[in-house]
Amino acid sequence: MNPYLPQPYTILEFRRESPDTFTLTIDLKKRHSPGQFVQVSVPGIGEAPISICSDSRSYVKLNIREIGNVTRALAKSKKGGKIWIRGPYGKGYPMKALEGKNLVLIGGGCGVAPLKGVIDYIEHHRSKYRDIHLFLGYRSPEEILFKKELREWKKNYRLEVTIDQNQHGAFCYDAKVGFVTEAINAAVLDPHKSAAFLCGPPVMMKASIDLLKQKGFQEDQIFISAERLMYCALGVCCHCMIRGKFTCVDGPVFRYDEIGAFTHD
Amino acid sequence: MTKLKVGVYGITGCAGCQLSIIFNEDDLLDLIELVDLKAFPFIKEVNPDEQYDIIFVEGLVADKGDLETIKKLRKNAKVLVALGACAATGCVPAYRNFTLKENYEHLLYRKIKELQDVQPTPVDMHVAVDYYLPGCPPDKRQILAFIKGAVKGAIPKPTDNPVCVECRQNGNVCLLEQGKPCLGPITVGGCNAVCVNGGLECWGCRGPTKDMNLPLMISLLKRKGFDEKFIQDRMRTFVGLKLPMLKEVLHGKNHHA
Amino acid sequence: MVLYRLEKKRLGELIGRLMLDAEVIAPVKKDVVRFLPIAHPEEIHLERNAFFPAKEYFFPQHQTLFQFDGKSFAPVIPKPKKRVFFGLRRCDLTAIRHQDLAFEEVKDPYYETMRKSALLIGYHCPKAPSPYCFCGSLPQIEFFDLMFFDQQTGFLVETGSEKGEQIVREHPELFALTDLPKPDTKIPGADRLHVENIAPLYDHPDWKKGADQCLSCGACTALCPTCYCFEIHDEVSTANPDAGKRSRSWSSCQLPGFTRVAGDHVFRKERDHRFKHRIFHQLEYFKEKHGVPLCVGCGRCIEACPTRIDFVKLLNEMKT
Repeated sequence: MNPYLPQPYTILEFRRESPDTFTLTIDLKKRHSPGQFVQVSVPGIGEAPISICSDSRSYVKLNIREIGNVTRALAKSKKGGKIWIRGPYGKGYPMKALEGKNLVLIGGGCGVAPLKGVIDYIEHHRSKYRDIHLFLGYRSPEEILFKKELREWKKNYRLEVTIDQNQHGAFCYDAKVGFVTEAINAAVLDPHKSAAFLCGPPVMMKASIDLLKQKGFQEDQIFISAERLMYCALGVCCHCMIRGKFTCVDGPVFRYDEIGAFTHD
Repeated sequence: MTKLKVGVYGITGCAGCQLSIIFNEDDLLDLIELVDLKAFPFIKEVNPDEQYDIIFVEGLVADKGDLETIKKLRKNAKVLVALGACAATGCVPAYRNFTLKENYEHLLYRKIKELQDVQPTPVDMHVAVDYYLPGCPPDKRQILAFIKGAVKGAIPKPTDNPVCVECRQNGNVCLLEQGKPCLGPITVGGCNAVCVNGGLECWGCRGPTKDMNLPLMISLLKRKGFDEKFIQDRMRTFVGLKLPMLKEVLHGKNHHA
Repeated sequence: MVLYRLEKKRLGELIGRLMLDAEVIAPVKKDVVRFLPIAHPEEIHLERNAFFPAKEYFFPQHQTLFQFDGKSFAPVIPKPKKRVFFGLRRCDLTAIRHQDLAFEEVKDPYYETMRKSALLIGYHCPKAPSPYCFCGSLPQIEFFDLMFFDQQTGFLVETGSEKGEQIVREHPELFALTDLPKPDTKIPGADRLHVENIAPLYDHPDWKKGADQCLSCGACTALCPTCYCFEIHDEVSTANPDAGKRSRSWSSCQLPGFTRVAGDHVFRKERDHRFKHRIFHQLEYFKEKHGVPLCVGCGRCIEACPTRIDFVKLLNEMKT
């Protein structure tokens, strides 16, 4: 089996999520865990790693931000169309090992996507986890992802949505204006029997981790999802290496003490 | 699907960069099918003055006529591409900026309005440029890749790798080692190191990399026995206007001497 | 282990016979010494090690992985070519083994095809061939089909595999069994790296010293016999932009583009971080995964560097 060979799948649904993101539902029925990713190909343009934002045996959902050539091309996909995929790849969040714990999920911008996979997983195994606290930060109301799901999440979990600014006073799902770190700072979080999952821009993750540590979280209670340039997704091209660890096979979810805040390494 | 409407124009220049498009002989017939090559005054009689998806402009602004042309091209182009070193970096004609006026004053045209002198400058010093295909001349495969990328809606990201990357992959032995003043380490690649493949050192026609280590390059050339005047002249030949810090690095504090 | 003796004057005969049914690639003196397919045994040059390693024969600079036509991806697996590599130094043999480890892990069919049809004949350095060598400071493994030890009038030949023994068996009139002891495999003058564990040096300020002398030209990684990083790109045909090929090319961790993601963020931006990453991958990270350092001590990255950044010297100085 050629490990670089993408396979064709069918797009079951195309949903516009925000002005520059969309969600594809794909008939990929391979087992996966939240936090894993797939390598999506657009023949003639290239490949891009996209994290899975669902938890199902019958499909995967990919929330994709139009930021590069591959993702811009994918934005033209249509329901019923074909999509080329390799994977799922990588190590996701250690959901099994964290059963019985409180979970704090902190996402920034399109970093909320992999956490959505975690939330779906929790929903399917709700009795196995205790308190769930979601902190979701966006720059503006338009960027808010998974608006359809937010209502449910608000019912079932402690949910804080923040937006950096709301210039036009738009309706925005009870979001508070301010940085997500302000919401974390104001919240009462019990580090005992807890774990925190983070995904978002490096600056936001760094600031959030500092806050979690102030609140008594240890580095081995914090899990982050790393973003890196990848080509092979197999652990050989080396572009995604962080301190000797491959983001593609050892990550993308790392326990914080495994790689530390080494954003430049 | 409607084809992209493309125009290829030249202002002050040698037309060599426009020729580089045509030098894609093996792909030329397919290329004409792929896009609507509507304006190309260098090889076409009828070149309508209207809106284009992409306009390639070769040459630099050197007279009043160029100035008018470039403004019009910018207005007509959704995407304006600086084609070649003159358009992208100023190239050899811009070298005049570093000489005294008395050296060339007697050569200037005075009577024809369109030919009246303007300080020779690359296109982006007058209008916004969306994409650069640098080089004297630009690499023909890169032009082709750009056009194909545009057709697919995926214009390739310009590289910032130095010429050395391709040069080493081609199995060349470093010309600096042979005492030649090669500017490959500070020059943007994408040319397949064509000059070095042929034994000629890189003169830097594709412009400086963002990542260049200019102080080290200068001190290395000095160690190889080249004096400041030589280094300055050589580095200014193609891209002097894109190296505004050159003088300071050359004469100023040198961290690596 | 069995040792044979081959008269030096009969080397040409052996090579000539090997050339009958295989391409023989050996160090040849051109502008510099290069591994090239030879037309005559006399072209073989054993005084210096090749300036360029042999890695491009297994892991080419550019290699097509697939052809696509909008409907399917068709793998383009290279045709295996029977090749005999003659004159690989111990460092270069170890380097091939280390690249094997990297590519075997993902069962890379492209690398495997190029690699498995190759016969490897080593040449043991009588002394360190370059002042930059430091193979003695790093573990070299016994990895060859045949190994040639240079003696005055002949070669002592050690067999290292069934394929190697077969060659000896096929040419009994050239190889004479000998009971001479196996020579010392240590190469004199090549143990100048005195740091075994570089992990404690991670935060040392002197990485900057090395990086200040770095032009970021990528010569070190291109000429390294072990560096195996690559990038993958698509190219479409002009006649049909839905069709084209996907290929891979060497890439270099010394360049900022190595970690540039969509949106233009560069993760390893600073030159000293890039420099340090290369040395750490070579000496530390690979060891964590595979039990051996990636670097084999051939010294090419120093010899090929336009400013001769000697990371061995730098590490030695950092330690003290």
